[in-house]
Amino acid sequence: MNTPATHAVSGIPLAHRLPRVLQSADLWVKVAAGAIILLVWQVGVGAFAPRFVAKPIQIAQAFPKVITDPAFRAAVGSTLGAVLQGLAIAMVAGVIIGVAMGRVKVFDRLLNLYVNGLYALPMVAVLPLLATWFGYESNARLATIVFAAIFSVAINARDGARSVPMEYLEVCKAYRAKRRHVWFDVTLHSSLPYLVAGFRLAAGRALVGAVIAEFFVSLEGVGMYILAHARAFQHNEAVVGVLALAAFGLFFEAGMNWVMRRFLPWARRG
Amino acid sequence: MIELINSDARWVRWLTFAASILLGVAIWEMAGRNANPLFMAPLIGDAQTPGAAVRLIDFFGESQFRDAILSSLLLFSTGFVLALVVAVPLGIVLARLVLLRVALESYILVLYVTPMVALIPFVLSILGFGFWPKVLVVFLFAFFPMMYNTLEGARSVKPELLEVAGSFRSPEWPIWRDILIPYTLPFVLTGIRQATGRALVGMIAAEFFLSTSGLGEIIMVAARTPDMANMLAAIVFITILGVTLMRLAQACERKFSAWRGIDE
Repeated sequence: MNTPATHAVSGIPLAHRLPRVLQSADLWVKVAAGAIILLVWQVGVGAFAPRFVAKPIQIAQAFPKVITDPAFRAAVGSTLGAVLQGLAIAMVAGVIIGVAMGRVKVFDRLLNLYVNGLYALPMVAVLPLLATWFGYESNARLATIVFAAIFSVAINARDGARSVPMEYLEVCKAYRAKRRHVWFDVTLHSSLPYLVAGFRLAAGRALVGAVIAEFFVSLEGVGMYILAHARAFQHNEAVVGVLALAAFGLFFEAGMNWVMRRFLPWARRG
Repeated sequence: MIELINSDARWVRWLTFAASILLGVAIWEMAGRNANPLFMAPLIGDAQTPGAAVRLIDFFGESQFRDAILSSLLLFSTGFVLALVVAVPLGIVLARLVLLRVALESYILVLYVTPMVALIPFVLSILGFGFWPKVLVVFLFAFFPMMYNTLEGARSVKPELLEVAGSFRSPEWPIWRDILIPYTLPFVLTGIRQATGRALVGMIAAEFFLSTSGLGEIIMVAARTPDMANMLAAIVFITILGVTLMRLAQACERKFSAWRGIDE
């Protein structure tokens, strides 16, 4: 077939096609680099570190055992469940606070100091306080997650609600749009990219909050699984727990990127 | 009335700001006086039970607390500076050596999204107690945001510029001075801002879970006693510290953000 399109492709100078050629080469470079990193890890730790320190081959051997361990599954379920529950609470409350701050000046001026201050406060510092208030049980973990997540959601929702173009609101006013349409269809809609950005930030912080709370309160969960095995010098098993956390972080990151590309392609990247 | 409250006049803004602080203080004070003293302390309190603000001012007079604050700051700055010294040159080298960048970027991303708190138990059981294991924790918290953002900067360097510099046989140092550093600097500063927040978390976490010291120790001791006024005072101090550092980092970031995407 001699359509103009195929001509066009073959007419592109090599320099412009190079990135595509490079991409497949990239993969090999990455794999090779990964292999070198693992090799250095294995040999270096084997030569210089105590025997209990995790090594890649031993981690790989421990991996299937840990994954099929019901205790590990329960720990993952418990942590993820708490993170999702906390994120849901933080998302709803944070969006309400943030949108109110973004659109109503009084709320903004009254709350800005506190929201920004609490956002800058490292959440670990309030852990003992939350543990005192909510008891040394799973409520303290949930509270930590909500605390860790809510302020980044609120701050981003505020910026989002502020970024609604004035023209949209003027059109709403001109056509006497109902209040709920102004809030849900215009304000919330046009701040969606900000909400996604805030949610992404919140998810990372929520995960950290969950793990720290588990360390502190000794709750069943991935954090406690890692801590208990590291203490018992079973580092290979503990590393699998860390991998689970990293996988959750990556999964969420990838999911958010996908949502951005699929549903909000007009928003800036990242 | 609503017009007045929402107006941008300076005195209205200051009045609402003052009202915000007063309201916060009042709510805290009420909660502190009426709640069980095991759970909550007032902000100001009275002569018998001094509140958090009073305790905070006392902190600066007691050498024990001054030392705690200094030891926390020392821990923070050692870890932070070490991370900076390692991450930024490494990031710029990655801007120069594309092959190395391609090889390592995925792994850096993975470490960037891994919650570093999860590594604290390993640091504890391999390196034990002492100052340097805690520095390592702060380092780990601060390093990856810096590294990740410097890497983003490295990606933003236009290959054309490097090619032109190369074809004019530019020596290595001018390439760094005129292309690599100006392009990566705004991103480095974003990394520094992100790292500030994370390193503070790392500092407190290290002081909680490794050998207790500094502000973390004050909070831990207060939680066990329990002495809510001390705990809240320490938390307020950490908040002020956090806000100050963040503001500082944001100001630096904003100063250089105009450099980002010079010719786009």
